[in-house]
Amino acid sequence: MANLNELSATAVVAAISSGDCSAEDVTRACLARIDARDEEVGAFEYLDPAYAVEQAKVLDNGPIRGPLHGVPIGVKDIMDTFDMPTGWGFEPYSGRTAERDAGAVALCRQAGAVILGKTVSSEFAAFYPRKTRNPHNIEHTPGVSSMGAAAGAADFMFPVGFGTQTGGSIIRPAACCGVIGYKPTFDDLPLDGVMVLGQILDTLGFLTRDLRDCTLMRAALLGDSPDIDMRAANDPPRIAFVRTRYWEDADPTVHALIEGSIAALAAAGAAVDEPEMPKGFNDLSDAHATIMPVGSAQARAYEYETYRDELSEVFREHVERGRATDYADYARAVALARSCRADLDPLFDRYDVFVTLSAPGEAVKGVFPTGGSMFNRFWTLLHVPLVHLPVSTGPQGLPVGFQLVGRHGADRNLLSTAQWILDRLT
Amino acid sequence: MIAAGDVSAEDVTRSCLDRISARENGVQAFQFIDPELVLNQARVLDLGPATGVLHGLPLGVKDIIETIDMPTGWGSEIYDGRMTGRDAACVALCRAAGAVILGKTVSSEFAAYSPGKTRNPHDTGRTTGASSMGSAAGVADFMFPIGFGSQTASSIIRPAAHCGTVGYKATTGTFSLDGVMELCHSLDTLGFLTREIGDISLMRAALLGDSVDAPVRDSTAAPRVALVRTKHWPEAEEITRDVVEGVVAKLTDAGAIVEEPELPEGFDGLTEAHATIMPFEASRGRGFEYREHRDGLTDVFRAFMEEGQATAFEDYVAAQDLAVRCRTGVDKLFETYDLFVTPSAVGEAIELGGLTGNPMFSRLWTLLHLPLINLPAATSPQGLPVGIQLVGRHGADNKLLSDAQWVRDRLS
Repeated sequence: MANLNELSATAVVAAISSGDCSAEDVTRACLARIDARDEEVGAFEYLDPAYAVEQAKVLDNGPIRGPLHGVPIGVKDIMDTFDMPTGWGFEPYSGRTAERDAGAVALCRQAGAVILGKTVSSEFAAFYPRKTRNPHNIEHTPGVSSMGAAAGAADFMFPVGFGTQTGGSIIRPAACCGVIGYKPTFDDLPLDGVMVLGQILDTLGFLTRDLRDCTLMRAALLGDSPDIDMRAANDPPRIAFVRTRYWEDADPTVHALIEGSIAALAAAGAAVDEPEMPKGFNDLSDAHATIMPVGSAQARAYEYETYRDELSEVFREHVERGRATDYADYARAVALARSCRADLDPLFDRYDVFVTLSAPGEAVKGVFPTGGSMFNRFWTLLHVPLVHLPVSTGPQGLPVGFQLVGRHGADRNLLSTAQWILDRLT
Repeated sequence: MIAAGDVSAEDVTRSCLDRISARENGVQAFQFIDPELVLNQARVLDLGPATGVLHGLPLGVKDIIETIDMPTGWGSEIYDGRMTGRDAACVALCRAAGAVILGKTVSSEFAAYSPGKTRNPHDTGRTTGASSMGSAAGVADFMFPIGFGSQTASSIIRPAAHCGTVGYKATTGTFSLDGVMELCHSLDTLGFLTREIGDISLMRAALLGDSVDAPVRDSTAAPRVALVRTKHWPEAEEITRDVVEGVVAKLTDAGAIVEEPELPEGFDGLTEAHATIMPFEASRGRGFEYREHRDGLTDVFRAFMEEGQATAFEDYVAAQDLAVRCRTGVDKLFETYDLFVTPSAVGEAIELGGLTGNPMFSRLWTLLHLPLINLPAATSPQGLPVGIQLVGRHGADNKLLSDAQWVRDRLS
């Protein structure tokens, strides 16, 4: 058996239920890895090792509680936990404790998870990073905003971390750190107790190393089946290759990677096409750039009034852009998104999945800025489910991969297609 | 009047407090009110310049919305008296616009179905409907001009109908729900209880930066109206059916074209779809309370959660899929019609002692994410208000407001 901290959540559950190890063993293995690495990586905003072990011991002393029995989970610092502080990545809120669990956290506990600690979020899950570094090279960014969850999952500190996405906050850190990132269909998972940033954009999701862990989490949170529906080897998906208008902004490494992957999938039997995208599609990133600041300006109104001088410059400017946006422009952007959603959906009658870029290249060097989210924002606005697949390593030794886009509400199909694709490329 | 110097913010606030003091014992609109705290806010406003669009306006804030200086109890004994340490976004924006936060208005438990303490100001032996009960009763009883409400099924429209106020539920997603308790993430929507349609524009200006002036209809022609009885029509009381038909007759006389269009395929399943989605999502959002405070839940809410826990995921997905399809179909109908007219509630407010009445006439519209308005339309022989519900196109809230004003002008 691999080191216990390297197991997927699915493997952890199997190992514990078959008696190969205890929840405490798994938690201790994760804590040992964190102890060895987190001073460099900085994935955790809050961690109390003794308390994590205590949770695991309670689980070991009882019956199998649910589909996540004994799985250590990293919780993004914008999600409430009754027993740990929730600081929203914002210094004045550091150490603040909500008196309850976010709905998703409570459901994970109910399913037997160990809530390991709080993972670092950028300031208000937006642009300004905090301490986390890329575990593959600490001079590079791990991407924002679910930075602690991505780095911790990549560095084998835990099998599953919660992330949230409003622009590119799950997919881009997943791409930078080389893990699977899954942003479900908008409105799929409960946001109770999760900080609001963009009312019509925010989506809860996961950073993992194994696609099956995404279905496992869906089982705990939604009562969906924990198994991935395996697509038969002789049932290749119909793929739409979508370069987007930002294609030229990406570097040759990811161009070559995605074109090579597409060729390999075609060789494995997948039908590949480059369809024309719906009218208005090219304006969606601008629409997102109009909508997101307005949502943030609303959601952070209290902080803007109360802590203006303590906001990062980039976030303050973002909020002020939102405040200055003409409401009619905002309403037009929202209407465009809605009509594009309706126009996009029929394309999924012809394709199982879209294959597109996750990021313009490998993780950029330095702490800030953290790279562009142009390949993520418009998909988030379309409310469709997204998966980042790590596939290879670039010339700087950092992970590269690509993004899969599924039909609204058809997350299970997306995950099974993603598994089919991953199996053909690795 | 404050801007003109006729009265001060303190005068307005004192007059609301006087009314509350005289009437609160019978109506019980407030979960929390501290008159000194309120007067201090008004005095501070009077000392400064009138900069915001709500300068000096006293607001009632539903108890599921966070306030830095008042407890936020979510209508549950579990959280009675709890302070959360910040203002919800909508409250912060109102304060920045000069509003006086008067107090916290009663919400039913977790903004769901259990009855709260508020009584109907028109007959204190009757319910207000749930859940924005304190805001509806307080506005109806002249305790404050505007109250925040939220709707997941019928929580703005039904209390508005039963108390005889204007009720506005925005297009879903219009307002940030930061600091607002989540009941069902795909359904929850913020809105207002008011006595004037124009006050809705004032609130939209404060929260969205939208125009402070009431929107003007872009046509001099009468609106094209779809009468949508829904499959629940036979379950409506005679008074409701009479009022809706009476309104339609008046609008027709005023030149409106009124038709009863064919509704999209699947439309009749929407109420059941909502009834599947709501407990499913609520049981997940309230997962912590169910796990840690089960004894603090009422039997009604606990049973509601258990219904959600027992709902199969496939049924939930099927219900959401139906909603997605019907939204597209209903969007198309708005190419032909300006607004829909439909009942707001089964009948007049029911007597206290049981639950608060049936939400059936609003469930499907909430699920469709459309903007809704209750207009008080008549008074029953028993002296209770009866309303009608107006439904607008997704995102076209201002158009709905202007059409609603046109309708209201024809009813008076």
